[in-house]
Amino acid sequence: MSPQILAIILSVAMLIFVLVLLRFYFLPEKYAVIWLVAAIVAIILSAFPAILDAISGFFGISQPINLLFVAGFFVVLLLLMQLSLELARTRDELRRVVQSLAVDLEENTHRDE
Amino acid sequence: MKTLIAIPAYNEEASIGAVIADLAGHHPLHQVIVVDDGSKDATSQIARDAGVRVIRHAVNLGVGAAMGTAFRFASRNGYDALVQLDADGQHRPEFLADLLAGVGTADIIVGSRFAAGGNFESTWARRNVQRVIAWTVSAYARTKLTDVTSGFRVSGPRAIELFSQHYPVEYLGDTVESIVLASKQGLTVREVPVIMNERAGGLPSQSIFRATLYTGRILLILVLAGFRSAPPSIAAMKKRAKRESAK
Repeated sequence: MSPQILAIILSVAMLIFVLVLLRFYFLPEKYAVIWLVAAIVAIILSAFPAILDAISGFFGISQPINLLFVAGFFVVLLLLMQLSLELARTRDELRRVVQSLAVDLEENTHRDE
Repeated sequence: MKTLIAIPAYNEEASIGAVIADLAGHHPLHQVIVVDDGSKDATSQIARDAGVRVIRHAVNLGVGAAMGTAFRFASRNGYDALVQLDADGQHRPEFLADLLAGVGTADIIVGSRFAAGGNFESTWARRNVQRVIAWTVSAYARTKLTDVTSGFRVSGPRAIELFSQHYPVEYLGDTVESIVLASKQGLTVREVPVIMNERAGGLPSQSIFRATLYTGRILLILVLAGFRSAPPSIAAMKKRAKRESAK
């Protein structure tokens, strides 16, 4: 089996996995686009590696695989950054919710006395 | 028929007072609820002073989540119908009777600006995009709908039960997705003609860039909605109902 077929099988499996997550509402629309795009790009690149060769040639990179590593690393870094921002926002919201709940509870107990 | 009017509001202190005052002649105010979606202004205070009930979200969750809260409230308090009314004064309370008259003939009755034949005063591209969206949603709903992004609508008992379990939260897509979701669960949708006021604020999609983004998102939601199964909460609800009927 050639490595190209393995790459195609893996990227198609990834697309199917994303679609299944979407179908059963595990993955919200907001994150769906980026994962769908990633899966489709992976399929295209594994089916037509010539595209990668052409882009590497344009940037003067001698080993096309290096372009893939650099680009992949960069995308992963961006995704991590987005996750950090989301986590910070969610923590901030959680803090505000707990605080307002605490204030409301105190007001309710106070009223009973 | 016990009818709740739900007004989702986010930073609407400029218009909320007038909207409630306008509503007062058409509906008892103790059956009106403002869902304040974490406003940073005096929206809640003004609404409370105007004599309606207020639910306040501690953080801003979006209009879909605000409606989800309203449906939960309606379901828990035994309401038979829920009318969504915008806080910006776009929806005119004199059409409430027209909307409510439709409850019983369908599960969701949408107030449409274009049902009487009117059209968007807009660019060619935008008009046609809106047309494609309307056609797609109409196909899901198996009935002709002309104004699917209209928020002025009534939900009957079955729709309240469904939406109290799950209401779409995707920003600006909730109106469209809720129709598709309800249709896929076997609920019926109808529209009645209404006239709306000009929005106090601007349209959500003013620049070409934002309009394209908005349209793309709606189209994605429509495609996804067709491909998706029932949300977990609704699947669980149906399973419960099935078990109970089997007993």
